[in-house]
Amino acid sequence: MGKHSGLTRAKVGHLFTFGLAAWVLICLSYALPRLMPGDFVTAMFASSHVSLTQEQESQARDYFKREEGFATYLLRLLRLDWGRSYALSQPVSSLIFQALPWTMLLAGGAHLIASLLGFVIGVEAAWRRNSRTEKTLVGAMTFMEGVPEMALAVVILGLFAFQLHWFPTAGAQTPYAQLSLGGRLADMAHHLALPMTTLILSYFPGNFLLARNSMVMVLGEEFILTARAKGLPERRVRYHHAARNALLPVVTRFGLRLAFMVTGVVVVETIFSYPGLGTLLFNAIRSRDLPLIQGVVLFSSAAVLAVNLALELLYARIDPRAGHAY
Amino acid sequence: MTKRNLFFHALFISSLLPFLVSVPWAQTTEVRIADSKGDWGYPNPWRHYPRGPGYVRMSWVLDTLIWKDEKGMVPALARSWSYDQGRKAFVFQMEPHAKWHDGRPVTPEDVAFTLAYFKKYPYGWVVLEKVERAEATGPHQVTFFLKEPYAPFLEDVGGTMPILPKHVWEKVSDPKAYEDPEAYVGSGPFVFKDFDVAKGTYLYEAFHGYYQGRPKVERLVYVKAADPIAALCSGQADLASIEPEMRPLLEQRGMKVIEDKAGWVKKLMINHRMAPFDDRRFRQALVHAISQEEIIQKAHRGRGRPASYGLLSADHDLYNPATPKYAHDPGRARQILESMGFQRGTDGFYVKDGRPFRVELLASSITVAGQPSSDRDGEVIRHQLEAVGIRVDLRNMEQPTTDAKVKNWDFQLAVSGHGGIMGDPKILNEMISEEYAAGSVNSARFQANKELLDLLDAQLREMDPDRRKAMVYRIQEIFAQELPSICLYYPETLSAYNPNKGIRWFYTKGGISKGIPIPQNKLALIR
Repeated sequence: MGKHSGLTRAKVGHLFTFGLAAWVLICLSYALPRLMPGDFVTAMFASSHVSLTQEQESQARDYFKREEGFATYLLRLLRLDWGRSYALSQPVSSLIFQALPWTMLLAGGAHLIASLLGFVIGVEAAWRRNSRTEKTLVGAMTFMEGVPEMALAVVILGLFAFQLHWFPTAGAQTPYAQLSLGGRLADMAHHLALPMTTLILSYFPGNFLLARNSMVMVLGEEFILTARAKGLPERRVRYHHAARNALLPVVTRFGLRLAFMVTGVVVVETIFSYPGLGTLLFNAIRSRDLPLIQGVVLFSSAAVLAVNLALELLYARIDPRAGHAY
Repeated sequence: MTKRNLFFHALFISSLLPFLVSVPWAQTTEVRIADSKGDWGYPNPWRHYPRGPGYVRMSWVLDTLIWKDEKGMVPALARSWSYDQGRKAFVFQMEPHAKWHDGRPVTPEDVAFTLAYFKKYPYGWVVLEKVERAEATGPHQVTFFLKEPYAPFLEDVGGTMPILPKHVWEKVSDPKAYEDPEAYVGSGPFVFKDFDVAKGTYLYEAFHGYYQGRPKVERLVYVKAADPIAALCSGQADLASIEPEMRPLLEQRGMKVIEDKAGWVKKLMINHRMAPFDDRRFRQALVHAISQEEIIQKAHRGRGRPASYGLLSADHDLYNPATPKYAHDPGRARQILESMGFQRGTDGFYVKDGRPFRVELLASSITVAGQPSSDRDGEVIRHQLEAVGIRVDLRNMEQPTTDAKVKNWDFQLAVSGHGGIMGDPKILNEMISEEYAAGSVNSARFQANKELLDLLDAQLREMDPDRRKAMVYRIQEIFAQELPSICLYYPETLSAYNPNKGIRWFYTKGGISKGIPIPQNKLALIR
């Protein structure tokens, strides 16, 4: 009983910490965009053909400042109202949810594939430690890990889109193409191929090296020796006993990467003109669209927090020892 | 008709089919324009971004009274117009066949309503303070009564103010928040169908009832492409702005490359409110130290022309060829500086009042005609100023940051630039005087020369073209003598298009509306 109540208290305390972190994030999402030099009216009208007089400028500034206070921001958040974008005169939530599916498809898909591939190949490489294949893979992945995402994107774009013309150079689908459902899906896959390959090639080496190293450590443990001594089939030892225990750091990396996918794919989204939250944030910063910046920042930080919470719950399932941390 | 006749008729008609489908209008049902930013807002006055590409996206949907082609002003919703000096009024004869996209006729009442509505809910592109009112003075006639003569009226209002449907907007009290599909009902050649914010794409469809004729294409699509040239080469787009160095490659691939007049200028902004920049002699020393030619050669591989120090280029009808010129003369620059009390230190750099003299120069990548353009000018200018002995701290910043610093006078020197210099010479007022453009970061906001300020006011009131020309000439002279900002060069502005689409794109004389240097003129898809 006492143990249980202690556990519950620890969990409540843990949730309270998350709540506190959420509060800090809300404050930061409001404050950070406002620390940037410049403002929306200057950014929008600075190089415009519209030359504002003093009076017009003041009117514009007043219009965009009318609902800017922190208290208003909090009250709106309580009503699940994320405000309206200055530049696009649209609800921020609607803009985020228009962009989110594309980010999920590109970044989420790339993370998933790169993590699965990295894990399986990493496990297999560790199992064949010191073989020529393993050494070549480790060398190649160490090199690939050092190649910046941007360089990879430029090379892939230059080769497969500009030179060979196998894939489109930009976008997520041919805009307004009159295609059947099958045709549209094929068109989307055709557009997704290059940016997703870039991200997979960018994430895969890290996942591979992590899984391989983690697996190598686990393979040195005594319980593996015991499992082998019991005469269990090799595949069962490799995956059920060893790989399961090597999975934890890979899951952590997957979670953290997934949480940072908004900011992590800005470069690739920009180079391939792929829609998504990164592009939305990039454009919002350029135009100093404060409600949209704070909306995307809050959304992505909430995602980091939610993923962390989910990871903790997942740890307990993957490795029951983690559950005793409470 | 016998069976044999029927057979020959069918044979004849089927033989014609290949010719019918090979005429340009039958082939071209869609045109795609590439743009690297994509998102320029929704195409109506209150929801488009206040930049050229935003206005152009609206111009497909909403017509103005007058428009411009490659030779100058042409009729649009107004068939003809005249100025009545006695009444200080512009009288427009309206096009009787013009219709809104919902089928209703465009009337003089719509025009009068538009003016009143923009006075109530201002639209930054149209300055209406000189206009008293507009009245429907006949079944197809509308008259604008001015408070005082206003020379830029035809371009500023007639050629820029989009005419709104009264039956839609009269019930709208918050136009910025109005999101109904009716907010995009216009009388232009295309009907707005979609703007995908996430993808930065736009779809327009031809308006078959357009009074100037059916558009040549059924669909107009804007696609977002980080590299518009790649989109052009891969067939994803039919028209895009290009970098000058890409010209040979694109021509080799069968693209037609078109070049604009000097409609855009790169400038060195000077904080003339602080010493020593407030001294005209110092600014003249700067201009002698800077070689425009070297900036063009080193930073732009020769793709550009040295700018006139009076802002307007030789391409402008009111360019003054006698505008003062300053030779690149580092010796003269040093002479001026030393006459102002600057002394050379042991390291070759100037000291003032016993302290090392340093200036801060801000530079950033700037958007030119909707496309980001990298900046190497700052580095060349730093080198040139240091060559005469002025130590320079070069700071490369993001454009909104530079703009904010310039706007708040928190700078010394800054590299900047703007378009609109091929349009009405009212641009001189906006780029010189604070009264006309306090909110602009490209305006010198220079109030120290009374003659200059008086001339700027007077040229707007002068309806006689010759007298106005004389004033504009003198303004350029004084501006070049005072140098509150230094015009550096006019970059080459090019676009390329696929000629196989059967459309001949062109740059507009004086730029679209108030001088937008973009070749997406709706008349290219009509005539």
